[in-house]
Amino acid sequence: MTEIAAPATRLAVGSAAASGAFGRFGRWLGSDRIFPRIPFLLVELLFILVIFVPFLLTIYISVLKWRANRPFETAYFSGLENYEAVLTSDLFWLSIARTFYFAGVAVVVELVVGFVLAMLVHQCTRSKKFYTTMFLIPMMIVPIVVGYNFSMIYIDSGPLNQLLAPFLERFGIDPRIRWLSDPVAAQFAIIIADIWQWTSLTFLIFLSGFAALPRQLINAARVMGATPWQIFWRVQLPLLKPAIVIAVIIRSMEALKMFDPVVLLTFGGPGTSTQTVAYFLWEQVWVFNKFSFGAAASVLLLIMFSVLIYVGIYLLIRQRSTVEGRA
Amino acid sequence: MALKTGLTPEQARARRVRRERLRRALRHAILLGWTFFIAFPIFWMVSTSFKDAGEWVAWPPHWLPDAPTLHNYAQIFAFRSIDPSLSRQAAEQAFSIWKGLGDALLVCTTAALLALLLGTALAYSISRFQVGGRYFRHTILTIRMIPPIVVAISVLMYYAILIPYATSAVLGVRVSLFDTYIGLILIYTAITLPFVIWMMLTFIDEVPYTLEHAARLMGASRIMVIRRIVLPLVASGMVVTFLFVFILNWAEFLLALTLTHPEVTTLTVLLNKFQSASEGRLYGPQAAIGTMITIPVVVLGILIQKHLVKGFSFGTIRK
Amino acid sequence: MARIVIENLVKTFGVYTAVKGINLEIRDGEFLIMVGPSGCGKTTTLNMISGLEAPTSGCIVIGDTVVNDLEPGERGLGMVFQDLALFPHMTVFENIAFGMRVKKVPKEEVQKRVRAAAAAVHIEALLDKLPRQCSGGESQRVALARTIVTNPAVFLMDEPLSSLDAKLRVDMRTELKALHRRLKATFVYVTHDQAEAMTMADRIVVMSNGLIEQVGTPLDIYNRPASQFVAGFFGMPTMNFIDGKIEAAGGGRLFRSNGLEHSLADSVPAAVAGHGIVLGVRSEHVILGDGAPLKGTVQLTEPLGDATLVHFDSTAGNRLVAKVGPSTALQPGSPVSFRFDAGHCHLFDAQNGARLH
Repeated sequence: MTEIAAPATRLAVGSAAASGAFGRFGRWLGSDRIFPRIPFLLVELLFILVIFVPFLLTIYISVLKWRANRPFETAYFSGLENYEAVLTSDLFWLSIARTFYFAGVAVVVELVVGFVLAMLVHQCTRSKKFYTTMFLIPMMIVPIVVGYNFSMIYIDSGPLNQLLAPFLERFGIDPRIRWLSDPVAAQFAIIIADIWQWTSLTFLIFLSGFAALPRQLINAARVMGATPWQIFWRVQLPLLKPAIVIAVIIRSMEALKMFDPVVLLTFGGPGTSTQTVAYFLWEQVWVFNKFSFGAAASVLLLIMFSVLIYVGIYLLIRQRSTVEGRA
Repeated sequence: MALKTGLTPEQARARRVRRERLRRALRHAILLGWTFFIAFPIFWMVSTSFKDAGEWVAWPPHWLPDAPTLHNYAQIFAFRSIDPSLSRQAAEQAFSIWKGLGDALLVCTTAALLALLLGTALAYSISRFQVGGRYFRHTILTIRMIPPIVVAISVLMYYAILIPYATSAVLGVRVSLFDTYIGLILIYTAITLPFVIWMMLTFIDEVPYTLEHAARLMGASRIMVIRRIVLPLVASGMVVTFLFVFILNWAEFLLALTLTHPEVTTLTVLLNKFQSASEGRLYGPQAAIGTMITIPVVVLGILIQKHLVKGFSFGTIRK
Repeated sequence: MARIVIENLVKTFGVYTAVKGINLEIRDGEFLIMVGPSGCGKTTTLNMISGLEAPTSGCIVIGDTVVNDLEPGERGLGMVFQDLALFPHMTVFENIAFGMRVKKVPKEEVQKRVRAAAAAVHIEALLDKLPRQCSGGESQRVALARTIVTNPAVFLMDEPLSSLDAKLRVDMRTELKALHRRLKATFVYVTHDQAEAMTMADRIVVMSNGLIEQVGTPLDIYNRPASQFVAGFFGMPTMNFIDGKIEAAGGGRLFRSNGLEHSLADSVPAAVAGHGIVLGVRSEHVILGDGAPLKGTVQLTEPLGDATLVHFDSTAGNRLVAKVGPSTALQPGSPVSFRFDAGHCHLFDAQNGARLH
């Protein structure tokens, strides 16, 4: 009997540090059932409080009619009136179209340029580190600062005009162009600012992809007589497909939220020609104080985005599992 | 094994060497071209930050300031708005960077720490206990995919309306979270948590669970196991995650713009404010602020660059 | 003609010289194996033959052509890599067909030749599968089929069996040998496993530290190793080595080492006397029996089934291994008497390891 008791006491010694009521509580906390649930609950609580409930509130407000410069008590229930207003607002649809336009152009350019840059840098031996560091810098610059930088470059007496001056003067055009005053030019200004900053990200993703290509595969192809071009198309590109998909998904989702450069560069102008959806909504709520309109637009936007989100997640998960399946 | 063309080996080699050199030159030309494109706006900003007001919009533009001055920096680092020479424009705004800097540091650090704490704990639970189900780590990212403007609108109404309403009804005192430190910190924490969880998951997954088993068999309590075994092994990962989240918060603009000011003013909002009611912008001080905002981020970014490459592979790198 | 001649081949990587000057002639149609420990330069040499590495100096001739400046694809070789390097995103069929697709061979011919190659290694059933669905042995054959299909005159193989388990390895060895006989091509094979080299090669090239130690048939290498290194590398268990000196005594030669003396065959030349010497004796040439002049104590016996290894210490302190028949009464602790078969004693110079007799 003493032998049976002995091992038990030996184990107990180890956890003797936690004794008494506090110790028991500590052990209950540490048990496999309770312990993992604690952070889960805390985090979920945070999300509920700070994200979920506010969103419910938004839905509530979206069915009221209310302008923020009047007290809340004057708001009254107005059903789907706000939704109707949003859906019939030309500016709303225009800003959505414009957002897709900006994102579309910017992301395509970023993908192509990022890919080419990654491919070239991958082939470098000595200067690889230098170029990699340099090319990653734009991603680290605060977006609002990027907006500011480009605003400085685009002003009528900015360096861009100075560089173009020789060409323009030959055609008799005054080189002091106010780029940001022209709707089309302003749009391209935004797109270029986005490209400047975010090509770094596609570059990064593709560089990782190139680095992961197994060396022996390329050697095998070389011995079998493939030309570099053939190696690129038949061996490297198919193996880079996962990286490409990921780059497309990630970059597209982020690009649709474009806001910072618009605020600092163009204020959505000239007129409303560079308003993205985010900017449009911001203006409605913070400048015009049309809270319920903004709330309704917000809900609609979220629904639209959710569709995109689910597609994106589905593709991402499927991509990961095909990669893992290969292992 | 005849040669493909009619060249002698020496000729073939010479041609190959020539072609290789041309390719290399072309490659560097393209890469250097892009480097210039990247460096130029940054260079321009730094250059402008040293320019006197007269040179801001000079034509043709001065690439390097003719009369470099630290005036802009002096201005933003001053504690009060000074400099009568800038007349009305100056008087309308607070130039001082200290407020923006202080607020930004406070909010960013606190939010990052909070996110790190909660996120690491949850990541541990997910890694060891599969809390939340098999796809939890993917669905948690959906938080990140809500457009920030939607979050901003919702949270604005929440902080400015519902919370005061609720607190005045329940506690009898009207508390608003609009334009408060707590308000901004809370929302920053919420939206960066998915990143913390995702990154810490990759680090914690690398620590074999058998280590913890061994420790528990030797009598250690769970707290001890975490403190002495898991945490030291993921410490460097925690540092990287913290820096990453800090940078995200530091660069954040939309939520700060919409939910705070003037009580709380982060640097990004401050930069945006620099236009007077009349017209134009104060490019010099803006450039100085921009430079000040940029330096810490670039330095930190270069430090954690290696980890960025690893983290963004998203599983495309295996073995 | 698929004869390969290597002249004064050198390869340096920065300050490190991997291959320090090699001269070798590989005969048409032979199965040549390059063996050596890791880092001896054998893989680098193979890579230079294939064209994946460019030599720092020296030249390589395949057939009648100096191939130094030819691209790997232009040299008419087939190569099997250590990790097989099968394209994971293509089916087995496409993997095999790759070399032909790259040269725009017409579809019908591709079909014909791929099927023929697949039949030669018995993998017709796998043609539509992906590499990740194939087992180790199957993947191995796919890699072989991929090289066969282009009909090269020279096959290069870089440790192709090292990723297989022991039994599969032995099976593949026989298959490779059979393949070689059927195809009548030149095989240049690299491995660090001496057993593989012994069983498969027509000739063996032993390399160490970037240089060739010896070239010869497996039996040559085994029975007449050119250096202590070669002697120690081949043969399981490793050859017994004893340091000592040669002295003239009576009419013959005597090998003397701390308390151990052994007379040597008369054929040992006199010039050898006086040097520091290492005596090498294979375990099967250590003869145990009563009445033998030298004494020792058994430490351990290892029964192998068809023989027994007896590890014993001589009274002079040398650790030796003898190979005897399967049934022996010897136990750890028993005393033994032993001598060496005088006709099979190898003498090596203690300083440079070169063979003296």
